[in-house]
Amino acid sequence: MTDNKFLTGPITRRKALKGAGGLGLGLALSGLAAPAVHAAGGAPIRFLNCETGKGTLAFFSKAAAEYEEKTGREVVVDSVPLGEAFTKITNGIRSGNPYHVANVGFIGHVLLLAEEGQIVPLNELTDEYQWGNNILFPVDGKVYWYPFDYNLALIYYRKDLYEKHGLEVPATWDGFAGNCEALVEGRRKGCLFPIGSNGASNWMSFAFMWAEGVKIFDDQWNVVLDSPEMKPKAAAYLDFMARLYPTMPPGSLQASYADVLSNLVAGTVAHGAYAGRVIESAERDNPAMAEQLGIMPYMDSAGTRKAASHGYDGWVVLDTDNTGPSMEFMRWLTTAKMVDFLHTAPVHFQPARLDIYDDPRWRDNAMIRKYATEIETMRELVTDDSVVVTSIDTQGPVPDVRPGKVFESFAMPEMLQDKILRGTDSAEAVETTAARIRELVG
Amino acid sequence: MTRWLLPGFLAVGVIATLVLIVGPALYAVSLSFYEIRSLTSAPEWAGLANYAAVLASGEFWNALWNGIVYAGLAIVLQVVLGIGFALLLNQPFVGRPILRGIAFLPYLLPTVIAVLTFKWMVDGSLGIVTILMDDLGLPPIYWFETETASMVSVILISVWLWTPFVTTTFLAGLQTVPPQLYEAARVDGAGPVRRFFHVTLPSLRPILTVIILLRGVWMFNKFDVIWLTTGGGPLGATEHLPVLSYRMAFTLYDIGSGAAVATLSFFVLMAAVTLYFRFFPIEGGK
Repeated sequence: MTDNKFLTGPITRRKALKGAGGLGLGLALSGLAAPAVHAAGGAPIRFLNCETGKGTLAFFSKAAAEYEEKTGREVVVDSVPLGEAFTKITNGIRSGNPYHVANVGFIGHVLLLAEEGQIVPLNELTDEYQWGNNILFPVDGKVYWYPFDYNLALIYYRKDLYEKHGLEVPATWDGFAGNCEALVEGRRKGCLFPIGSNGASNWMSFAFMWAEGVKIFDDQWNVVLDSPEMKPKAAAYLDFMARLYPTMPPGSLQASYADVLSNLVAGTVAHGAYAGRVIESAERDNPAMAEQLGIMPYMDSAGTRKAASHGYDGWVVLDTDNTGPSMEFMRWLTTAKMVDFLHTAPVHFQPARLDIYDDPRWRDNAMIRKYATEIETMRELVTDDSVVVTSIDTQGPVPDVRPGKVFESFAMPEMLQDKILRGTDSAEAVETTAARIRELVG
Repeated sequence: MTRWLLPGFLAVGVIATLVLIVGPALYAVSLSFYEIRSLTSAPEWAGLANYAAVLASGEFWNALWNGIVYAGLAIVLQVVLGIGFALLLNQPFVGRPILRGIAFLPYLLPTVIAVLTFKWMVDGSLGIVTILMDDLGLPPIYWFETETASMVSVILISVWLWTPFVTTTFLAGLQTVPPQLYEAARVDGAGPVRRFFHVTLPSLRPILTVIILLRGVWMFNKFDVIWLTTGGGPLGATEHLPVLSYRMAFTLYDIGSGAAVATLSFFVLMAAVTLYFRFFPIEGGK
């Protein structure tokens, strides 16, 4: 023990204690000083982003740095795939460390959070603009999210194959199924519309039914899918999908968003549904294919009505101690930076705000100029009142969590599976699904 | 110092178990007695209502049956193939050490990589298997497109992934069987088949009992393979209790029912393990 250098060497116990004390004091002071430094800019804004494209991530990184430089307020951006967003948001709330601004891609989640008082109305940001159809989903006049884009699912078709085979852009189910059958050749299949229990099926495969005028709920929230008016239409839709199925590649039950995208870009299917991402992916990976892709809305059986499958993304502001600064950040993001943000996926991020379509800064983009015709078609779909823009989760007379439950239960894709894989009679499949939905929504 | 060493280590183990396993498990069980409509809403006491609703639903019994079929068939195939490969790899031949290493390889692969690779290989448009079959003039296989095909596919993936565990464990056991026993059996005129059933199997019964037990528990609780391949579909054909529990809790946000399914699953498994030990006591092999 006596040979301990702390007792006998140049560093004595007293010196060591003094040094440790000094170090502790320094650390304590620096710790005390830290809040003062933070206080200059306030608590950081925690931003949950779900747009994970390379360009979009770079945009948020740059925007956060710019905002901090401008205001002194740090913005911490976390990025996760959209599928994980709601769990992250709710986990944050439960853990007492919530996000302040979050990206949401499912209106059912917005309504759930609004119902529980977890998010604040954003009318002060949304009221000053004109918006496309069916995108704000107000609840008693209050808008709880800031939609930044539509992701309408539209039908992509091969213009070169149509020309080669002398086919017309179809206006009826019969015409569409005929074209799909005509374009099956070797490994190339006629079309791909997912039928599995997943979000891709919910999004891509039901707009034919919406075009036909099918509704799941009436104005009083009664399930009317199997009503005398709706059942024959829904059953006819199932018969139509059963006709398309043999023209699809094996695996349509498992097909995800990525599968449909890759099949369209690779040219292994002649038709498929998606939003503008297809054009961007084709431009990047298969430019020759990008030139050959045309778009059309979904159609009904008689050729009288068009539809697009609703898709959208937006931001919510959570009700936290940091709500005020978060709203300020949102105001900055949605005014000064909105166009830059949309340019990170210029065709895919179809603007929800109508003023943007006429904004020269937005139009001044190579992709937007090149695909001006397609973009104009997309714009018409959200401004023409005769076009049905809906989806499973936005069914019903007003925004509500009930259609969200139907969406999440995958009851509708399972109706397709019941018909296509089990060969159940179409009317019976509709009745079974309606009964299941009644059970789900109470 | 050594007086406190054993209790110290024990205390660390007990505390870690309580905090990381027992606590969360009890919390999960407690959730099953509440109605919780979302991940942020306040829980409301529901008593046994979640259990009553779950037990009355066809989904639970369907998922239980699927779990039994999936785990049962996967274990049988894993054990039969695993023992077969172990017997082969126990024979002397050139390159045996390399082959033993390769045989263990699938077990080292993360499930998500193995499953996604399999899905890409059998993709209906771009998969290498699909293209090869097309080149050979064979019709495409609808791997996941029917209820039976889906179950067969998930079982095959599971067998491919975890047979090496059985092979390796059984192979290690084979090295411990005294050669004199085989020599004596040979002198008595026993052929390879009789030597296997009368020498090898009885000698390795304790190992086999543990292998089957472990694989059974793991397969019954196996979530990732089914979730990544079929998500429980089509039409619930591959949905077993873990997937049902997850779906109820995290897609339908019925947290209470999801927890009830998980708790029931735990009790089913506990009952099965108790019965298993009654019929196959490990000590019985000695």
